[in-house]
Amino acid sequence: MATRRKRRAVGAVALVVALTTVASLLAVGGAGAGSQSPFALPRAETLYVSGKQWGPYTNFNPLRPDYNTGTVGLVYETLFRYDPLKDKFIPWLATDGKWVGKTFKVTLRKGVAWNDGKPLTAADVKFTFQTGKLAGSQYSTMWKTGLSSVTTKGNVVSFNFSGTPNYQEWDFNLYSIPIVPRHIWSQYSATEITTGNTDDTSKQVGTGPFTYAAGAGGSQTLQYNRRSNWWATKALGERMPMKYFVDIHNTSNVASLQNFLQSKIDLSNNFFPGIDKQIGGKIVTYYKKAPYMLAANTAWLVPNTTKAPLSDRAFRRALAMSINIDRIVTADYGNIVSKANPTGLLPTWSKWIDKPQAAKLGFKYNVAGAKALLAANGYKDSDNDGYVENKNGSDINLRIIVPNGWSDWMTAIQIIADSTKAAGIKLTPAYPDFNGLVDERNSGKFDLVINNEKQIGNTPYTYYDYLFHLPIADSQTFANFSRFTQAGAAPWALTLKVNKLKSSNVVAAKKVHSQIQKYILEYLPAIPLWYNGMWAQYNTSVWTNFPTATGKGLQNTPSTWNGYLNMTGVDALANLKRNN
Amino acid sequence: MTRYLARKITIYLLTFYVAVTIDWAIPRLMPGDPVDGLIARLHADSTASQELHGFFTESFELDQPLWKQYLNFWWGLLHGDLGPSIAYVGSSVSELIWAALPYTLALLIPAIVLSYLAGNRVGAMAARRKVLDNTVLPVAYVLTATPYVFLALLLAYFVAFQWELLPVSGAYDFSVQPAWNAEFARSFLSHWILPFLSLFLVSFGGWAIGMRNLIIYELEADYANYLQALGAPNRLVRKYAYSNAVLPQMTGLALALGVIVGGALVTEIVYGYPGVGSLLLTAIQNRDYFLLQGIFLFIIIGVLVANFVVDLLYVVVDPRTRTGLQGQQ
Repeated sequence: MATRRKRRAVGAVALVVALTTVASLLAVGGAGAGSQSPFALPRAETLYVSGKQWGPYTNFNPLRPDYNTGTVGLVYETLFRYDPLKDKFIPWLATDGKWVGKTFKVTLRKGVAWNDGKPLTAADVKFTFQTGKLAGSQYSTMWKTGLSSVTTKGNVVSFNFSGTPNYQEWDFNLYSIPIVPRHIWSQYSATEITTGNTDDTSKQVGTGPFTYAAGAGGSQTLQYNRRSNWWATKALGERMPMKYFVDIHNTSNVASLQNFLQSKIDLSNNFFPGIDKQIGGKIVTYYKKAPYMLAANTAWLVPNTTKAPLSDRAFRRALAMSINIDRIVTADYGNIVSKANPTGLLPTWSKWIDKPQAAKLGFKYNVAGAKALLAANGYKDSDNDGYVENKNGSDINLRIIVPNGWSDWMTAIQIIADSTKAAGIKLTPAYPDFNGLVDERNSGKFDLVINNEKQIGNTPYTYYDYLFHLPIADSQTFANFSRFTQAGAAPWALTLKVNKLKSSNVVAAKKVHSQIQKYILEYLPAIPLWYNGMWAQYNTSVWTNFPTATGKGLQNTPSTWNGYLNMTGVDALANLKRNN
Repeated sequence: MTRYLARKITIYLLTFYVAVTIDWAIPRLMPGDPVDGLIARLHADSTASQELHGFFTESFELDQPLWKQYLNFWWGLLHGDLGPSIAYVGSSVSELIWAALPYTLALLIPAIVLSYLAGNRVGAMAARRKVLDNTVLPVAYVLTATPYVFLALLLAYFVAFQWELLPVSGAYDFSVQPAWNAEFARSFLSHWILPFLSLFLVSFGGWAIGMRNLIIYELEADYANYLQALGAPNRLVRKYAYSNAVLPQMTGLALALGVIVGGALVTEIVYGYPGVGSLLLTAIQNRDYFLLQGIFLFIIIGVLVANFVVDLLYVVVDPRTRTGLQGQQ
């Protein structure tokens, strides 16, 4: 009797286990049901990418810059694209765009259709840009700085400005704002448009080369299927070679590296420490030699210029001179990054850099020089502890911070602290977690922080804005983390001037650029360290013809990060070939 | 019986109230403003970010006084609304948790139940046979002393990375999407084995040791000797010993649940398993108050319910509890 009861109990428990497993499978299985793809995608027709998505695939809203991988570029498209390597705007949904007085006239491409069959119209463009007026919109700036109305006539859209337009910002909008279909989006509420997820996937109606296929929320991948009648095939002869595009949600760089080396990922936009040792054979990068990757942004050492001694520009200069950046490049990064220009401007902006001025005024690594500069400005080591003291004799011990877990940066600040020691500047590395760091940085409580928030783009204006933006608020959320005001309002005035100059006005623009750069070089509102890479490594087992520096027509941005597909990332995908 | 239940339920409700209040308070004690982090990640254009700060603070009701936030929280809770996620703006906490929960349960329930059954069985056997005792016991000691993360890392390194027998991360292959077909089931199972094993093995060790010691203790008890003296067959003696030894183990199960749940969370992170543990990590990293609250709430409810079930089972399994109850009435 007892044994039977026990057996029954064991049986019941086994049943519970089996049921929960089945129920879980059911619940998980339900999430992606309804897709029309084969059960398992054929490897030879699928491109696997990773490196962009770190959270669940929740945001299908192209008007929110933190959208899921490919939302802009693969599904929704922009009027223009921008090629940072050739500094050229590529007509995309628009065939032409030009300034007529204070009006920017865009001619829309004919024959472009949404993937539900309806044609793209000027009304769609007007509707999209007008969403910038809604509360919570992330494209609201243009409506507050000159854009006064959008009018349409046939397939021409006119953007009318009052006052001198902010040309530089406007150019950025042209290749950043994705056009959404009015016939669908007009049904959304204002909050849905600005901050909603717009995650009814049946309404993912775009003009791009792919359509949404599967994956949402916690799924590990997001799958797109190639669209059969993409406009660019007919108009420009551009065609996607892969039938399926699968983005892999990152869990850790280590796991991604494993999958990449096992050929489960074709294009990885992850940061892989030590990847320099793997390059060769089937693992390929943009450059064959160091720095292997294109530059995506500048890593700056941001000092808090409201605190002594960092408020003293001579001290900042001595600090900059005492940092052995080459050691960070070789020891920390294995040469996959390169040292930044002393202006901090990216290599793609080289035409705007006043090189003789940068050579003359830029800081160089020079410990003896740093020591001499410190001594000349009254920073002396009077208690013989190996470190200089403040002018009033108090100890200097500056806290230098990076987010916890950003291992390359954590190593970098150790190297920095170690190298400034030689000049007698005491730095103490610390690693608060990301939000804690943002809090310190925004509120001005920090001493020194490394930051690289401003990405490659069409104009160094974004960098000048980043360094000099005024006025200073209690919380500095996006720019001028150094709280730099020591040069008065002049550099900010010049920055605004750059924004109001057309890029085609090269001579006038160069002069202003040069003046602003002089402030960067002389005042060091932030110290440019190195160029962080546009991390991209290719496993060529299944696909080849990835972007490289030397391949014919392959000079494209090899990235699936947000904002890069609408540079030349789309071309990079279209150029791929199957490896036979 | 009713009084016993009523007392238990009151205690559970009190515990629930205290736990939930702590759950609400803890995320808010962390340094850093969640909205700042959100905006830093959004990369909105310059001027817009300043406005967005106010917009989001208001929409998350973080501009309200703390006491009001606390009341809002209970109000939402009683209406089944766990609030919006900050890390994943636009998603609700409930939908994020529901999406992750099946994965965690698929790991957790089989791991708890199977390790308990197998551990007790093997422990009982070890108590009776010297050879087994000398082999199983040391292994069990090592297993139970291993932190979940460490075992998970070891398994991942050898089985997945060095020998490439099983996949190293995720819950299914990149080439499939969750759906009802054999392809997905195969993929799901092959990804499930390693995280399951990490959880199973550690708890297995603990149960085996506990059971082995209890059985030895019971077999030396007077009733066992008496039974043997009466000439009862060994099997009968062992059966009685087992029945008595299982009782402390059940209490142990109730106590261990919290630890196992914690273990499941870190194991998920090691294997990049898209369950509640991975979600919790993101929530912490992003100061997502509401998501953190929501996840902890689920853990609190889970552990309390499981304990309650064990309490009820106790009544069924231990005749003494029943007699005690009858005595009270």
